[in-house]
Amino acid sequence: NKFNAHPDSRCWYVAWNPKGTLLASCGGDRAIRIWGREGDSWECKTLLQDGHQRTVRKVAWSPCGNYLASASFDATTCIWKKKNDDFECLTVLEGHENEVKCVAWAPSGNLLATCSRDKSVWIWEVDEENENEYECVSVVNSHTQDVKHVVWHPTQELLASCSYDNNVCVYKEEDDDWECRATLEGHTSTVWGLTFDPSGQRLASCSDDCTVKIWKECQPEEGTDVAWKCVCTLSGFHGRTVYDIAWCPLTGALATACGDDGVRVFKEDETADPDQPAFSLSAHVPKAHTQDVNCIAWHPKEAGLLVSCSDNGEIAVWNYQSGV
Amino acid sequence: MVSQFSGVLQLTDLDDFITPSQECVKPVKVEKKQGRSVAKIQIEDDGSYFQVKQDGGKQKLEKAKITLNDCLACSGCITSAESVLITQQSHEEIYRVLRNNKQAGVAEQKVVVVSVSPQSRASLAARYGLSSSEAGRRLTAFFKGLGVHHVFDTSFSRTFSLLESQREFVERFHRKEQDKQALPMLASACPGWICYAEKTHGEFILPYVSSTRSPQQMMGSLVKGFFAGQQGLNPQQIYHVTVMPCYDKKLEASRPDFYLEEADTREVDCVITSGEVVKMLEEEKVLLSDVEPAPLDTMFSSVCGDELLGHAGSGSGGYLHHVFTHAARQLFGEEVKELTYKTLKNKDFQEVTLERDGVVVLRFAATYGFRNIQNLVQKLKRGKSPYHFVEVMACPSGCLNGGGQVKPLPEQNNKELLQQVEDLYKEERPLVPEEDQHVAELYQSWLQSVGEERARELLHTQYHAVDKATNGLLVKW
Repeated sequence: NKFNAHPDSRCWYVAWNPKGTLLASCGGDRAIRIWGREGDSWECKTLLQDGHQRTVRKVAWSPCGNYLASASFDATTCIWKKKNDDFECLTVLEGHENEVKCVAWAPSGNLLATCSRDKSVWIWEVDEENENEYECVSVVNSHTQDVKHVVWHPTQELLASCSYDNNVCVYKEEDDDWECRATLEGHTSTVWGLTFDPSGQRLASCSDDCTVKIWKECQPEEGTDVAWKCVCTLSGFHGRTVYDIAWCPLTGALATACGDDGVRVFKEDETADPDQPAFSLSAHVPKAHTQDVNCIAWHPKEAGLLVSCSDNGEIAVWNYQSGV
Repeated sequence: MVSQFSGVLQLTDLDDFITPSQECVKPVKVEKKQGRSVAKIQIEDDGSYFQVKQDGGKQKLEKAKITLNDCLACSGCITSAESVLITQQSHEEIYRVLRNNKQAGVAEQKVVVVSVSPQSRASLAARYGLSSSEAGRRLTAFFKGLGVHHVFDTSFSRTFSLLESQREFVERFHRKEQDKQALPMLASACPGWICYAEKTHGEFILPYVSSTRSPQQMMGSLVKGFFAGQQGLNPQQIYHVTVMPCYDKKLEASRPDFYLEEADTREVDCVITSGEVVKMLEEEKVLLSDVEPAPLDTMFSSVCGDELLGHAGSGSGGYLHHVFTHAARQLFGEEVKELTYKTLKNKDFQEVTLERDGVVVLRFAATYGFRNIQNLVQKLKRGKSPYHFVEVMACPSGCLNGGGQVKPLPEQNNKELLQQVEDLYKEERPLVPEEDQHVAELYQSWLQSVGEERARELLHTQYHAVDKATNGLLVKW
């Protein structure tokens, strides 16, 4: 099931709302589109055209589903409020010096993280009384290059980011400020995407080095700061840059979006040692799109339902069946 | 690459400094001549470049240079061009000047003046296990031993900054009904904040920024203005060095506004950091604690016996404290003995209020660090700032935690060291600016004598919005 979402433009990102009833997409045409299922096809319910002055790179739904945040190359992040079928722009977060590459909501819904080509990661807080008042809580400069993605732990206030500097950083709040608690080194090129496993114990990263790495938190001997170790590397499966990765909260399957136009799903080996997990390629669609696949997202409620989007402006909906 | 400016990561726990944006993108102007053939370039043994022309003649090529002024004028970054600053303002430069003095004839010799900030003194005191005044006396001896003629203390010039800030606030308060940009008044002693404000918020924010000069530049006026005149010297004959807790002060010293055109000299020639003083001591293979103390120079220092005096309030100059107490007295007849600071969102955001009959009549704040400055400016832009005055500093925990302060030793903890430096700083007995006889005398004898306009030039300064370069070619892909 494929449809053109962003005419004559790239589709950069797709995100399901928490209930799974709507799909938000954004692209190089500076627009955000909200899609709803009508029988077997997808209809564009809302078009948000005037929110940004440049490409919209990512969109993210708040945990309650009432708000949508959009990160743009115009250096701003827009917060939208859902009002029936329409969305109203509540506020525009300024401050980054250049292109905002990602926005993500914390599980509590009170905090928002953004990251940018200006190498910084910002943490914002919503005012309790005023839903359109956002204040900057922290600005962390742990990366030395463009920061591509930020993702929150599924249940805790723990944040991870990845960058063109080949590293992944993990942040926690200490006193009244956010700090980088761990730097995960191992990839040999830009790290494009991150995703936590359903329990939040492991983190998966995908990179321009054509691999996927699985990281696990471990206690070091001295008992000081926690450290993250790479417990598995999936190499030899992707022909090109892996742009996005998503861990299914329902089944634990791992899906990737690749620059070789393919979509892949990996299944975890049940018998493997938990500290040395193993994954095998379970499904592969070599030409999922006619161009680079930029994003991949599992449906939050329907197991096996998967959506991807591409440089060719298309969105594709897939049904993954694991066999056993 | 870690930047040394109120930028990134000098102190591991506190990395909330204002960051440089991109690498230097200053387009260098090249004299281009139309030619038909491809130029040949020859590199000589000494590293100089010569262009070999068609007729065989050689033309020496000029090295592309970027000056500090280019840095300030450009919007590509705030402070990334470290190599530029290292050549123009460093302890090596000071050694060079002192060496020249030894070799030069009387006519070319410079009078070398070093003005030490109390924050640097406290930082050095902590490193060498001394009190702040003990460190001051030993620094005096150390510098004079190298050939420096006078060692002053910027707490003295800070008295001028505090008095002028107090007066400026009252004046702004009085015109707040007619002028919507009179308040909040934003303190301007921090050059990191100023560079950021000029570059990022430009015309919007500048009317709110206090025009009062920082202690460093007040000392510049004093040394190259009053002192020069008094000693019968041309300002160019004085080499003025300041010792500061951060690298951003180097940028402040090179602002065109602080360049004396007629005398072709800067008010402050060279800024070195507390850390650079440690380097100098290490190069001389001496511990500050082992140096025999010398008596303090009193001309431009606040001295009582052999103790240096400081000011009440924060480790970043006490602007909030002094402007608040003065305003409370002048505007509301209240004598405030002690200020009650309320910590808001985080420890770098504090508030002080004055209430009259249950109504808040003065609301002041101190906002340190990038995140708090962001929130302050954004609120101001939305017309929602409740403050009358804000002491704004770029570095979390303020100047005592500046990027140029002495780094902790391997066994030391950042937080503990900062606490130590704060304790040493606060040990200096405070002097009330309004009661400073020496300063009052200078206002009379010097500032009044030059007339109002000139006095304003000496005590105040201006700011300039920097145009954002939106040229797509400058974007680093």
